[in-house]
Amino acid sequence: MNSDDFDSSLPEGLDLRALSAYVDGELPGAERAAIEAQLAQHPQAAARVAAWRAQKAALRVLCGAPQRSERDERDERYEREAADEPAFIVLRRRTPWWQRAGVAACWLAAGAGLALALGPLAPRLTGGAWGGLGGSPPSFAERADIAYAVYTPERRHPVEVAANEEEHLINWLSKRLNRPLSVPSLQEYGYSLVGGRLLPGEAGPAAQFMYENTSGARLTLYVTGISRDETAFRLFRDGNRRTFYWVSDGMGYALSGPIAEGKLRTIAIDVCSALGGKPESWQ
Amino acid sequence: MNFEAEVISWLPQLRRYARALTGDHAWADDLVQDTAERALARWAAFRPDSNLRAWLLTILRHLYIDQLRGRREIAVDDESAPWRNLEAPQGEVDGLVLRDLQRALYCLPVEQREVLLLVCVEELSYQEASRALGVPIGTVMSRLSRAREHMRALLTEGPAHGPARKNPPLKVVRNP
Repeated sequence: MNSDDFDSSLPEGLDLRALSAYVDGELPGAERAAIEAQLAQHPQAAARVAAWRAQKAALRVLCGAPQRSERDERDERYEREAADEPAFIVLRRRTPWWQRAGVAACWLAAGAGLALALGPLAPRLTGGAWGGLGGSPPSFAERADIAYAVYTPERRHPVEVAANEEEHLINWLSKRLNRPLSVPSLQEYGYSLVGGRLLPGEAGPAAQFMYENTSGARLTLYVTGISRDETAFRLFRDGNRRTFYWVSDGMGYALSGPIAEGKLRTIAIDVCSALGGKPESWQ
Repeated sequence: MNFEAEVISWLPQLRRYARALTGDHAWADDLVQDTAERALARWAAFRPDSNLRAWLLTILRHLYIDQLRGRREIAVDDESAPWRNLEAPQGEVDGLVLRDLQRALYCLPVEQREVLLLVCVEELSYQEASRALGVPIGTVMSRLSRAREHMRALLTEGPAHGPARKNPPLKVVRNP
């Protein structure tokens, strides 16, 4: 096939593909010899080969490829290159205990990437309210905090189902979370229910209920199924937002808002007992 | 060498290829990151007797093609085109020539650019390139020869070389 669109000065019957394969050393002995014979006769063809070789070398310079191009030296070369340029990508996976985790490590890394991408929203651990909290908060608490940050600024669509359809809201979310939910009233604290929405949780669906007081301040209660059963009642802070979270009977709860810690704590304790938890045991 | 370590050892090369392909360091780094993650997640799909580098380049290429669809086409002469900001390579070849070369490279259609890079820069064999691109060897060969001729034409007709500048500067017209 002679698909030369740019120059017709090459000898008749000279296959550009073969010439190109010659440049790459991809031709078997006999064909290579045939091409070499043609190159000797046709200076235009030889010039083409020279131009392509120069092009190849220039591309390698442009792209920063090593200049020694013998194929058998390749392995050695890449090893050296790998040593010169540390594998920056996978560094965060190389913490020993995840390195062994194989495929799971990828998901962790993907999660870390997501957290990074969420930058300003990504919560930072500032310490447990009652000390003794060594690790990170469970991810449902972080998710609750992020969901708070994402949805509470919404003025027109803060919720999917509004409080005037409370029965439908509760039935719907109970069905999706596959267990009966109830929405505690926070009227006592001046917060009324705005409504709720369904969110993707860590291991299944999660529900977010939003409350608002007369001055427009908002609180959210985040509810999701959780496999760990840890009953501690903890605080997680990010910026001016605070989240109290606890786990009770296979469900994780998180109450988030920008109000004073003491007040949020009181509300959280109230919510916890309204939902069948036993906050007394944590005090 | 275990699988993960081997993947890691190819990262510098993947990065080089991604940078050349995209002309955009940040995009390239993302591509390499995505490729590494996907490779580690799908290690079970890798046949141990086949070529890991070609397999990784294949993954990277799929990701690139996917992401390319989502991106606005950038005119080659666009001042904000990412390859404008690539560092001018240092070396034996004259900087100006390299700039022309770079410009020509990003004038090529993706199909020609990728095969050119895989064979000339990454030194894949035709067999490996055929597998990485998912096309028969014959197609690799013809695309490659067309890419070479295309590059040569761009470089000889380019404004820096033409003694009588009959042609207006090259422009990629954005698809409507």
